[in-house]
Amino acid sequence: MSEHPASAHRDVTDYELLFDCVHCGLCAEACPTYVATRSEMDSPRGRIYLMKALAEGRMDLDADAARHLDLCLGCRGCESACPSGVKYGRLIEAARVFVECEYRRAGFDRFRRAAVSVVFPYPARLRALLMPVRILDWLGLRKVVRTALPVAAREWLDLLPRHGTNSTEANWPAPGAIADDAPAVIVHHGCVAQVLAKSENANSERLLAAAGYRVVKIPSTKCCGALDLHAGNGERAREFARANVLAISKLKPDAIISAASGCSTAIAEYREILKDDTLAPEAEMLASKVKDLSSLLLERPLQFSARFDCVVTYHDACHLAHGLGVREAPRVLLRSVPGLKLVEMENSDLCCGSAGSYNLTEPKMARELARRKADSIAATGAQYVVLANPGCEFQIAAELRRRGSSIRVMHLADFFALAMTRGAKQNR
Amino acid sequence: MASSIDPKLVEELAAIVGVEGIVSRASELKVYECDGWTVEKSAPDILLLPRSVEQVSRVLRALDRKGIAFVPRGAGTGLSGGALPLNAPVMICTSRMNKILTIDYANRRVEVESGAVNLHVTNAVKAKGFFYAPDPSSQMACTIGGNIAENSGGPHTLKYGVTTNHVLGVELVLPDGEVVELGGAVEERCGYDLVGAVVGSEGTYGVVTRATLRLMREPEGHRTFLATFPDVESATRAVSRIIASGIVPGAIEMMDKLILRAVDDAFHVGFDQAAGAVLIIELDGMEVGFAECSSRVIEMARAAGAKDVKLARDEAERQLLWKARKRAFGAVGRLAPNYCTQDGVVPRTRLPDILRVISQVSERYQLSIGNVFHAGDGNLHPIILYDEREAGQVERALGAGRDILKACVEMGGSLTGEHGIGAEKIGEMPLMFSPDDLAAMMELRHVFDPKERANPGKIIPRPGACVEVAAPRRQVPI
Ligand SMILES: Cc1cc2nc3c(=O)[nH]c(=O)nc-3n(C[C@H](O)[C@H](O)[C@H](O)COP(=O)(O)OP(=O)(O)OC[C@H]3O[C@@H](n4cnc5c(N)ncnc54)[C@H](O)[C@@H]3O)c2cc1C
Ligand code: SF4
Ligand code: SF4
Repeated sequence: MSEHPASAHRDVTDYELLFDCVHCGLCAEACPTYVATRSEMDSPRGRIYLMKALAEGRMDLDADAARHLDLCLGCRGCESACPSGVKYGRLIEAARVFVECEYRRAGFDRFRRAAVSVVFPYPARLRALLMPVRILDWLGLRKVVRTALPVAAREWLDLLPRHGTNSTEANWPAPGAIADDAPAVIVHHGCVAQVLAKSENANSERLLAAAGYRVVKIPSTKCCGALDLHAGNGERAREFARANVLAISKLKPDAIISAASGCSTAIAEYREILKDDTLAPEAEMLASKVKDLSSLLLERPLQFSARFDCVVTYHDACHLAHGLGVREAPRVLLRSVPGLKLVEMENSDLCCGSAGSYNLTEPKMARELARRKADSIAATGAQYVVLANPGCEFQIAAELRRRGSSIRVMHLADFFALAMTRGAKQNR
Repeated sequence: MASSIDPKLVEELAAIVGVEGIVSRASELKVYECDGWTVEKSAPDILLLPRSVEQVSRVLRALDRKGIAFVPRGAGTGLSGGALPLNAPVMICTSRMNKILTIDYANRRVEVESGAVNLHVTNAVKAKGFFYAPDPSSQMACTIGGNIAENSGGPHTLKYGVTTNHVLGVELVLPDGEVVELGGAVEERCGYDLVGAVVGSEGTYGVVTRATLRLMREPEGHRTFLATFPDVESATRAVSRIIASGIVPGAIEMMDKLILRAVDDAFHVGFDQAAGAVLIIELDGMEVGFAECSSRVIEMARAAGAKDVKLARDEAERQLLWKARKRAFGAVGRLAPNYCTQDGVVPRTRLPDILRVISQVSERYQLSIGNVFHAGDGNLHPIILYDEREAGQVERALGAGRDILKACVEMGGSLTGEHGIGAEKIGEMPLMFSPDDLAAMMELRHVFDPKERANPGKIIPRPGACVEVAAPRRQVPI
């Protein structure tokens, strides 16, 4: 541990920002970890208090403090609840950098986090790592092998969608001609999403094209940097941000979206991350173009050729609801599907525990939150849970699978692809 | 680590609440060293998170045997340091006793554990058209146990009353561990109103573990008006006229110029920036009565000097007004690095006088003071802005607050409308009560807590009591 943890934390955090918190406690019930443990060390107010004590040198970064900071999902539910405008996302990012530098975690925990950091941001590495699972799925042997694995590995494995199961049988009519002056949209394919959420990305693009947008492709997509940002690896996050800004800004998009809401918020934060960089103007431009799929689809409404009689509930992905403030658009869009009934679940905007790579690094809490989420979903009687983030999709699907539930979890892009193409199928 | 507590007792307590239910490491306890009032700080030696009345009772029995004092805590949103441990090594927090136990629509009551969150009670009965009336602005987090301890109110107190009007019965664990049931399911009771004594006792009688609450029917509709006035005098005139006319609105809330500016800077609500004050007036009840009441309210507001009276056209507009009102305090944080708030009450008719005093105090101490409050019941929340980094400002802010409270009492009002006395205002109690009054209160307290082990050092001042006062950085409003 450093000799002056106080000044070190003060160096990485924006000390003044800590004082936006007036210690009112109104955020507690919006915090999934507090709702689960009901102890204030795991509440936003408690964590901010710890950060402040660390910054002022009134406390050492001991195992307890590190634990309570690690347990934070970074879901930013507290930001939505806070009347005082606390920028919690920035505070926790800074605190994570501090923990990374100053604290050495116990063996297995360290290994787990390092593994995520080395593999996930790089699609090629992830693909290679997943190859054995793909083969197992292809041979139908996942279940058998699973039983031989240690618990931790089993939990990771369970989160992986079975090969092919999460893609929609898309039966798209040929896209119509798109006007040259139609707004240009980029779908950022992400890193993990590039490998595990292919259909979500592809269907996002098809839907945009069907709505009359001009879809522009990035030649090769780099990780947006969110994983590093949230794991306290600010340096590499900046490198990724720069690479993305360089690759995307010259394509001059009118809008940029991502099937993973965490990527969208990360790109929206490029203006902060790169504010002292030579690329600052481009970063600012890019950040201002961040949109979400449902809002774009509302601007140029889709035509559904058949009714889709079903009951749906909508789960608010954290970075979409708390980060980008998008709550209504997906709901309005869902209600526009003829025949569809939308039933709200309790606490739809309470994190499901997925939170980037959190379900890999903090499996116990993640599992607890998944259970709560699955309970709320089951109580609605819905046939489909629709959400706009692949991470939530895998997390919730895994929990529902464990329960043997028949409720289908679908990404908004996949769900609308289904809603659009059902009609096409029937008409033929 | 539990300095003043014998390790054997710690073991015994851990055996009662389980290892998950006891916190004894300093770095974790730090988080519990203050509530929403951050001026004073003192961490407990041990924090217990019990899950049942049996656990609470066994804990208190064990503490009683050793003569150890305790402080109850709910969500820690209190604004007067009620949950601050003063000479109380053990903190008992009800956050894990948060179940809603039974809902009885036919008899319009609900039974909850004391750690249940206020808003969750309303959420549980909303679908059937009911609500729990006391609605403090902190309702998304504060607990029913905390509400009972502080006798909390909210914007709708004007029409529906405070917590004490809505608590039918409580289960209370006395400091020696005995569990008593007070009041009960029926509204008409005979004998002394012991439930009434418990409501407002700020944790000094023991730990409330369960409560039976009254449910109200959602009114058929609402009419919410935004009335804009050139100055606070005309706004308060309107308040007096409306109430005197016999109309009882659901709520009348006032915000002055300073607050309006802050709210608009933050949320772009579109308030008239030339306005000196606005009132949010909400009528609720049966649709049939609205037409007449509405036109009378508009008329009276105009006659009092309103430049403009607007009706919220739909639920979205209504919600926007309430959001602005409830978020006003967060916005104030943008005007100055620090602020503190007071919670005095004056008779409604003296509102113009007290507002004049507040503006004099503001000049005398050279500090900006904003006003946003429950105008309908004369409950003030002057927010005093300061910057602790400037020498002497903390003292000036505290002095200004004291002068305002003194003026409230002189006008026949009270030191607190809803935030309680706690540790914060204990020194001001003699402004309102004679030594005999205070001694009588202490006697009542002794009926429940003869050894003064439940939340010692609160409400009733004792000569010689003192704590280390840290410089406030910023304080929570409302
Ligand atoms: C932003 C903000 C807005 C607010 N707005 C309002 C408002 O509009 N109206 C209002 O009235 N108040 C308001 N408050 C004050 C506060 O929310 C209330 O006093 C609330 O009732 C406290 O509840 P709590 O659960 O947080 O209690 P705590 O703060 O934890 O405790 C308060 C007191 O109750 C005692 N206590 C708690 N639980 C128990 C129990 N089970 N048994 C015995 N004693 C117990 C504690 O010892 C302490 O003395 C506001 C506070 C904030 C921060
Ligand atoms: S983060 Fe916001 S809501 Fe939470 S305690 Fe601080 S000021 Fe209050
Ligand atoms: S980011 Fe999420 S988990 Fe972390 S403190 Fe805020 S609400 Fe809690």
